[in-house]
Amino acid sequence: MKRAVKSWPSWVLLVMVVAGLLAVGAARDAAPRSPKERVEDISKRLACPICEGESVFESRNADSDAIRVEIARQVDLGTVSDDQIINFIAQRFGSKVLLVPRATGIDALVWALPAAALVCAVVGLGVAFHRWKLAADTIPDDADRALVADALAADASPDADEP
Amino acid sequence: MLATASLNGIVGHAALIIGLAASVFGALGLVIANVTGDGRLLRTISNYAWMALGGAVVAVAVMERALITRDFSLAYIQQVGSRDTPALFNVTALWSALEGSILLWLLILAIYTAVIMKRNRQRLDDPLVAWALVVMFTVTAFFFFLSFGPIDAFKNGPVPDFTRCCLGPNPLLQNHILVLFHPPILYLGYVGFTVPFAFAIAALITGRVGEGWLVATRRWALYAWGFLTVGILLGGWWSYEVLGWGGVWGWDPVENASFLPWLTGTAYLHSVLVQERRGMLRVWNISLLVATFSLTILGTFITRSGVLASVHAFSNGTIGPYLLGFFGVIVAVSLGLIAWRGDRLRSPGAIDSPISREGAFLANNVIFTVFAFIVLLGTVFPLIVEALQNRQIAVGPPFFDRLSMPIGITLLFLMAIAPVLPWRKASTELLRDRLFWPAWCGAGALAISVFVGADGLAPLLAFMLGGFAGGAATRQLLLALRRQGWRGLVGRANGGMVVHLGVIIVAVALAASNSYTRVAEFTLQQGKPVSYQGHTFELVKLQQFADARSTGVKALIRVDGGKSYAPAITTFTNFGTKIPTPSVRNGLLNDLYLTLEPSVRFDGTEAPVKIYVKPLIVWLWIGGMLMAAGTVLAGFPGRRRRVPTDPVSAPIELESAGV
Amino acid sequence: MSEPVVAARRGRRVAPFISLGVAAVLAALFIVLANSKSEKPDTTSSFLLGRPAPAVVSTTLDGKPFDLSRRKGSWVVLNFFQSTCLPCKAEHPELVAFAAQQASIADGAELYTVVKDDTDAAVSKWFAEQGGSWPIIKDDNGSISTAFGVAQVPETWIIDPSGIVVSRYPGTITADSLATDLQLLRQAYG
Repeated sequence: MKRAVKSWPSWVLLVMVVAGLLAVGAARDAAPRSPKERVEDISKRLACPICEGESVFESRNADSDAIRVEIARQVDLGTVSDDQIINFIAQRFGSKVLLVPRATGIDALVWALPAAALVCAVVGLGVAFHRWKLAADTIPDDADRALVADALAADASPDADEP
Repeated sequence: MLATASLNGIVGHAALIIGLAASVFGALGLVIANVTGDGRLLRTISNYAWMALGGAVVAVAVMERALITRDFSLAYIQQVGSRDTPALFNVTALWSALEGSILLWLLILAIYTAVIMKRNRQRLDDPLVAWALVVMFTVTAFFFFLSFGPIDAFKNGPVPDFTRCCLGPNPLLQNHILVLFHPPILYLGYVGFTVPFAFAIAALITGRVGEGWLVATRRWALYAWGFLTVGILLGGWWSYEVLGWGGVWGWDPVENASFLPWLTGTAYLHSVLVQERRGMLRVWNISLLVATFSLTILGTFITRSGVLASVHAFSNGTIGPYLLGFFGVIVAVSLGLIAWRGDRLRSPGAIDSPISREGAFLANNVIFTVFAFIVLLGTVFPLIVEALQNRQIAVGPPFFDRLSMPIGITLLFLMAIAPVLPWRKASTELLRDRLFWPAWCGAGALAISVFVGADGLAPLLAFMLGGFAGGAATRQLLLALRRQGWRGLVGRANGGMVVHLGVIIVAVALAASNSYTRVAEFTLQQGKPVSYQGHTFELVKLQQFADARSTGVKALIRVDGGKSYAPAITTFTNFGTKIPTPSVRNGLLNDLYLTLEPSVRFDGTEAPVKIYVKPLIVWLWIGGMLMAAGTVLAGFPGRRRRVPTDPVSAPIELESAGV
Repeated sequence: MSEPVVAARRGRRVAPFISLGVAAVLAALFIVLANSKSEKPDTTSSFLLGRPAPAVVSTTLDGKPFDLSRRKGSWVVLNFFQSTCLPCKAEHPELVAFAAQQASIADGAELYTVVKDDTDAAVSKWFAEQGGSWPIIKDDNGSISTAFGVAQVPETWIIDPSGIVVSRYPGTITADSLATDLQLLRQAYG
């Protein structure tokens, strides 16, 4: 009985339930943003130009107020994209207000290097498992033994444990 | 006045120089005694640890005495002391700036050194222990040197001019009790990683990377990790209660500096289990400890040298080069030792299958390492661009959020799978069997979230995997309890599962509060309640207040017709800046977080407020407590395994087991 | 004592190479960190340099309308100011000297102060006490500062007679340097 409950069909059911629920939940998110939400989203991507570690969205000072007013004005125009508004502000206050670094020029490295690191790590892990598998699977032949003997002879040191 | 003044300075300087000398003699004496085999010299070494501890204790005590007696002849007291700081914040003012925080660091380091010495004083002739203590003494000596020389914590100040000096600590550091707990606990964790690092270096030097040193340090690493975890969470709590921006974590350089060693330390706590069980990953584990310790020093450099702007930074130009140099020395020595010893120390044996406990630990390590790399890269990237192109850029929270989200989700998935995996190799049938109920827990969590109206793919995935991982951890705990009775809660594996439950709760709370916080601004007027997100808010009155150090105004706001909450704006007369203080109504489902806007008129009748409705925040602290509890449980000895008897592990001196 | 080392000999030595690689990366990081300065200089560059000045339409402190586009034909110097900012106050005598110097020459520049996030009373009081009779432009919602990208006051900008932004000076300036720069710009404008 217990076996049967945990068999493949119930796993398929589980996957279907989860997929259905995720689809329902994710679809709810798709409503278009209101202008207020747009101002919020944009101001969260910009740093307050005179404070440390606060975004324009969080910061309460006059400069951030002014920037929020400008963002709202441009959002109300309805013709400019989020990125254009962010560029407008960054052109004036400098790229130090961009909390999301650009993906051009040398700045792109901050996006590319993490991806590269992940790929390297995964490939490295794959190689390690491959070598472990080879090590576990192969029975040493004469060439291997010769190799080991050479290495031991070349690198003999007093504290080495001899086989 | 003048007599005590010079007294504090003199005693402080003397304590530091005695501590410095004791640490240097301790390190040198240990080396000499071990090389020459001089037993008499060896027996005197433990005195140096006590002297160093005494120096650090006296230095901190004298500084506290100077703070409490308001001895403004010292430059540091002029910087952080004031005549009207309340007693509590006057005591905590010790660590409210660079000099005192390094003294606190020094004290904790000296305590660790002394405890290690006390526990091992009979075994100083063991090269492993001796070298570990040499490393501890050296690090202690460095920090004594730092606070005696470059920082000069007990420097005499100019004649105080009370119109401009002696303002007291930063206003943000004098309005919440957490200031008393967060820095010392964080430092206990930060500094605690010195102990396993010292033993790792000793293992490399002596070539004994078997499991002996691991046994000697695993509990130290565990407790350091636990303190660091609690310290970081308390920092988030402080930020939430004090800073008034409604968040707990801002990916600020100082926060990242504490998070980096946490990441590599967490990776170590997992991969060390592979070494204990299978005798593998020895060099990797040592590298992780080296990375953890170097990252604490690098983090201290980043946050204390002023190269990166941060809300928390105490900048002081003089200390940067020393910390950076120390970091360079640590890295160079460690890498040199690894390069020299690494190959000989590598263990035989193979990991048979990626679908196994050790495979999951490896995946965990890869992800934590990549995570640490990303956080470090994002933190120093502005400096790299500045060096290459002389241009200022920022890497802010949206960057870190975007990259850490998939990482967090992957980690939750691993937390779901890994606990049920057996060592060596797992079959699909076994997984199907063991993961069945945990997976349905995940589906249940997802169903509940969708039912209560959650949206967005990322948070839903987090809730689902949180349920899945929670199911897996609970399954392990239940099985252990059934098998071992109350002992099913203690020991590393079981305590680890309790920690996992805490982590899952924290992750779910973070996902919910980051995704579903609602915020709006209102101008409240008396007698005109507004309603927002199902709650009503009514201004009772605006109330001005004043005390010796500040004036301010608070808005009494009645929430839901019941209790009143009072967000405030305080102007500290010494500083002139307006400090908003939020007021929070905690709830199991939602926190209501009220802040008063700086534009409020003190004599007005209107209260411009910002209202945040933040879901599940309380669970961050509950999860944190569970993590702390789990750490303590994991520290208790579990099922007795007197000798680690895995066939591939190195021979172990029996007397070194059991610390 | 005997060394209880288990030496795994696999023939290939990898640790030195991996260590070397890590060391190289860390050495680069070390150099970057060692050379980074704790003082970040204000940038004098701006996207606006060489471009038409943004629209500035506001009122002055004494209630007259102001429109930057109508000042074409003369050199315009905009100084961003707050009465709560100490460097601005320290800079003020230089501006007074600069205004007097420009008034004494033909084709002298017009100086305007732009004030944001301040009270009229405080600003009037400051100018009444410290001198300075040039017009003060109110920037009540901060739109002028945002258009120029001015965050930290004081900051000074020069706009040429055809309405093109030509210079930006973050931080305090002196009357002499400003006048000298302006003279060079005039010659170049020719």
